[in-house]
Amino acid sequence: MKKRDDVLVGIVMALAILVAIVGSLWLARGGLSKGYALYAKFPWSSGLKQGQPVLLAGVNVGYVDGVELRQDGTVLTTFRVGKTYKVPQGTVATVIPNGIFGDMAIALTPKGPNARSIPPNDTMQVGPSAPGIAELTGKADSIATSVNVITTALQKELVAAGGVTDLRKAMGSSNALILNMNKLVSQFSAVAAEQNRQLSLTQASLRKATSGVDSSKIDSTLKNVRATTENLALLSADFKKTSAKLDSVIAKANSGPGSVGLALNDPGAYNDVRSLIQHMDSIMVDLKKNPKRYINLKVF
Amino acid sequence: MRDIGRALGDPKTYAAETVRQMRNIGVDSLPLAAIVAAFIGAVTAFQTRYQLFGGVQLSVVGLIARQSIILELGPLLTGLVLTGRVGARITAEIGTMRVTEQIDALETLAYDPIGYLVVPRLLAAIIMVPMLTILANAIGVATAFATAILATDVTSTDFSEGLRLAFSAFQIIYSIIKATIFGAAIAFFCSYEGYNTTAGAEGVGRSTAQAVVITSVAILVLDALTALLLAPYLQA
Repeated sequence: MKKRDDVLVGIVMALAILVAIVGSLWLARGGLSKGYALYAKFPWSSGLKQGQPVLLAGVNVGYVDGVELRQDGTVLTTFRVGKTYKVPQGTVATVIPNGIFGDMAIALTPKGPNARSIPPNDTMQVGPSAPGIAELTGKADSIATSVNVITTALQKELVAAGGVTDLRKAMGSSNALILNMNKLVSQFSAVAAEQNRQLSLTQASLRKATSGVDSSKIDSTLKNVRATTENLALLSADFKKTSAKLDSVIAKANSGPGSVGLALNDPGAYNDVRSLIQHMDSIMVDLKKNPKRYINLKVF
Repeated sequence: MRDIGRALGDPKTYAAETVRQMRNIGVDSLPLAAIVAAFIGAVTAFQTRYQLFGGVQLSVVGLIARQSIILELGPLLTGLVLTGRVGARITAEIGTMRVTEQIDALETLAYDPIGYLVVPRLLAAIIMVPMLTILANAIGVATAFATAILATDVTSTDFSEGLRLAFSAFQIIYSIIKATIFGAAIAFFCSYEGYNTTAGAEGVGRSTAQAVVITSVAILVLDALTALLLAPYLQA
């Protein structure tokens, strides 16, 4: 009985101790495997603690094994990565918030695909830490200050300087303007409706007039016009012939030796005609002076 | 207390009896502690899920279940359950020995009644209550995990993520410290009441009831004091 007690007590104690150790390791590391060590020197660890996760491209690959504040002011962080995971060369380590409860994690961000991996016990490049609550609060404070300044200015302009009153007046004027525009639009609508009605009437009349036209008469008129046009063409041809003949007659008159040509072109004939006219003028003058010389009228 | 300190100097008196008491306090109480922890874990996960407002990450269920069970419910409920099961038994055993003058007989035979009756129970409770609490914590978290996955829309990934969020080994140590204090309180107050029992069988019953009440209240007070003293270290 005593031996049985010893065994049972031993089993329960061993089981409890095993559960405590395995449970703690699982909760802290995500497994029992220790993995290989990598190091990173952060200027600011943001409250990083042992046991917090290490994420490679967003996947949990390990845990923080130790955080040591060094004499030079940097924080040397040791973290362990599962043996099945390889960290590509050029990967940058940063401290990021993990969840909404202030937990932190190390984020390993590869620069790109790389077949070469960082060897165990190497020190990694570090990147800037993600902004913490304090920084975000500071930014929120500056935004709040800016908003406060804007609000004060708006209050000064809109309330103290009577901007709201002006705005109300302007809105009142706008309302009146809108009313007037509404009236104008209604008038335009009435005019447009009247125009539309008139246009409809005109279209109806036109349709009626179009339906009254006799197409056979139009055809006969068109035939007559066509015949007239043909006659005009013939007339034009005759006229051209006559004109050509007249041109040849004039040419002959200008250059030919005939009497018309000589009358037109011979200066002697011109002079004879001129002297003849002068003689006739002198005769006429003389006739007016001495009519009896020329006219001796006797009745009986 | 002085008598206990003196009795601890003679291990031959209490060593064998301590193992027997460890069996009584620890091994025999395991089913009851396991059942309580299982139901507490299940209810915690279920209620936590349906207390969350929209937009909260479901991994919070794992986090709250772990923190509630490991930091508070595991050690406290194990302590209270053991007060009823183990504490009452300790008081009744020692009280009966007192009223039947067996303790007087031990003294007559030059046995140290404190070393023979109280110290083994005290040591057994101090050792086994933390063990039971560790197992209760594990069972509570496991049933919370199973309940969350099977009865709610929380996935195993969500729950595991929350379970591991902001975990530190001190949380386990905190739970063990609490359980150790509760174990000591159960054994101490119940042994004290039993050892000082008077007035026959009726006195045994009265002492037993009084021991359970005093120990339960003491556990709650010690729980609050422990939280006041150690909770800041949890944050660190």
